Amino acid sequence: MSQATATRTLTFSQAIREALREEMERDDRVFVWGEDVAVYGGIYGATAGLLEQFGPRRVIDTPISETMIVGAAVGAAITGLRPVAELQSSGYFGIAMDELYHKVARWRYMHGGVFTVPLVIRLPEGAKGAGPEHDVSPEALFLSASGAYVVIPSDPADALGLMKSSIRDDNPVLFFEHAGLYAHRGEVPAGDHLVPLGEAAVKREGTDVTVIAWSRMVGESLRAAAQLEAEGIDVEVVDPRGLRPLDLDTILESVAKTGRVVIAHEAPKTGGAGGEVAAIIAEEALEYLESPIIRVASADVPIPQSRYLQQFLIPTAASVTEAVRRLD
Amino acid sequence: MTAIAPATLLELYESMVTMKLWDQTALRLLQEGRVLAGYHSGRGQEAIPAGGVAPLRRDDYLMYAHRGFGYTIAKGMSLAAMFGDLMANTAGTTGGLGAGIPHFADPELGILGQGGTLGSCFGIATGAAFSAKYRGTDQVVVCFFGDGTANRGAFHESVNAAAAWKLPVVWICENNGYAVSVPVAESTAGRIVDRAAGYGMPGVRINGMDVTEVYRATCEAVRRARAGEGPTLIEAICHRFRGHYEGDPQVYRTEEETERLLALDPITNLADRLVADGIASEERLGELEVRVQDRIDRAVQEASSAPMPGPERLYEGLYV
Ligand SMILES: Cc1ncc(C[n+]2csc(CCOP(=O)(O)OP(=O)(O)O)c2C)c(N)n1
Ligand SMILES: [Mg+2]
Repeated sequence: MSQATATRTLTFSQAIREALREEMERDDRVFVWGEDVAVYGGIYGATAGLLEQFGPRRVIDTPISETMIVGAAVGAAITGLRPVAELQSSGYFGIAMDELYHKVARWRYMHGGVFTVPLVIRLPEGAKGAGPEHDVSPEALFLSASGAYVVIPSDPADALGLMKSSIRDDNPVLFFEHAGLYAHRGEVPAGDHLVPLGEAAVKREGTDVTVIAWSRMVGESLRAAAQLEAEGIDVEVVDPRGLRPLDLDTILESVAKTGRVVIAHEAPKTGGAGGEVAAIIAEEALEYLESPIIRVASADVPIPQSRYLQQFLIPTAASVTEAVRRLD
Repeated sequence: MTAIAPATLLELYESMVTMKLWDQTALRLLQEGRVLAGYHSGRGQEAIPAGGVAPLRRDDYLMYAHRGFGYTIAKGMSLAAMFGDLMANTAGTTGGLGAGIPHFADPELGILGQGGTLGSCFGIATGAAFSAKYRGTDQVVVCFFGDGTANRGAFHESVNAAAAWKLPVVWICENNGYAVSVPVAESTAGRIVDRAAGYGMPGVRINGMDVTEVYRATCEAVRRARAGEGPTLIEAICHRFRGHYEGDPQVYRTEEETERLLALDPITNLADRLVADGIASEERLGELEVRVQDRIDRAVQEASSAPMPGPERLYEGLYV
């Protein structure tokens, strides 16, 4: 263990790679597979250098076969390995949906709990100018896939710590990585940095408003908070760092403190996970609310490929600022 | 071709008789209203699970199909536990979740389970075979599936990867001519066995009503897989004697057709051969049947005495 104060600066993508590298060094059962993850190092560079270090036995380029990538990861996981499988885009979820929803999430339960399914499926998501199929943020689709964890980091430190914990956890983890974050830099604690799954992070403390945000919207919300501070509004930013397990205690504690809630995510509002979080708050903490809950999200349209049009669709810090100002 | 040892023939016979009597017993329980799970009779197709599982070691992996319970019987799963699953009580392998569209699994026996969505077996078989190779063991995976299931896209993705990576899998397609009501000729282009060539692996088409053919073909495929020579596709032509499920009106075939099939019964055919070749007397085979029925009756009795689960069962075993 190195000193708690030591840090290093990594991009989000490097943080994922460091997590993979550290866990592969620790545990020979961990391997990585997906399209272009080996020689090419992953289209976002998140597996760069792993082939050189660990060789073709543990870093494997697969055919373009998402059903197999996920299904065979389950087969490997129930027979003693700990796969980290990458879908090149989370937009390909539909090709592997039976495997994700029924096999990854339910193989253990369905068979009476005789197996564990210790795997991680890496799912790059979010708007990046690649069009309606690639740019989705489909995490809410898995809200009903009980059995699978849904983990979503928003910065390099969490990307590293959550990935390491996900690999070590015996539950299956769907790990969403916003493609727009890969190049972001951040301080990452040195040493064996683990972030527990299912623990929200209060990314900024505040007393007036709770903004619940995840993935790219955490950074946007922090920018919004900085701006609102100048207007005398003290915003608390809570990042649940995933949807399951969901850290209700931290969320409800913050709501009880501020009495005002904005929920921000990039996925479209209808069917987005903000609806679920809002419903829970309404059920559990209505008496604390001094204003209706506001959701900041994309509109209910497919995401165009044009970055020009995307700027009118994808929520930003300005969308959060505007929502906070609308609160009573 | 070397002859199959008489002792092995008798084991294959006993295995098939167990499957048949199991099936009869399951149907009786179904009629008595004691089955809380779905069931697809495997009557007529016993030669395939018997001959296809017998060549496996205890630590080899099994992905089985939904047609009868023969595969897991042959791999050595507890009969009482499987009856418990049919009755959905706590004697079952699933501890009361119920499983007649089987979800039996036992890691100790290499039984990796089954998915209710057909074709789930393909990816998992490829992954288990990858795992065996990765871990440096010489374990083999046998994956059973129907002709209808062979048309899932997952077949292509998984069979291709297993062949490209030379993984130790034996793919056994049970071609019984129908997927529920749809004849294979209407749904399937070409012969299933010919797909093997497209993936650069051996393919063999055999008479799946003859347990000795299934056993021989599987032994050779298992040998290849264990030796690191890669996967094999076996297409076993067979016939299901009963409906797709109990209560299937079978409007898609005539009664004459189903009656003609009975002459192909893999169990009576092997019995005739055992007697003709002097391997066993009719009397001895009769005794064997009584012994097996007794074993099954005791399993039913054991399973029947188990309690139903409480509502808390719903919440157990979902997360670690
Ligand atoms: C993906 C999927 N599609 C459809 C079904 C419904 N279904 C269950 S069994 C079956 C027929 C399967 O035919 P085949 O693979 O030939 O096996 P057989 O029943 O003949 O043994 C169908 C359509 C299912 N369970 N899963
Ligand atoms: Mg069929």
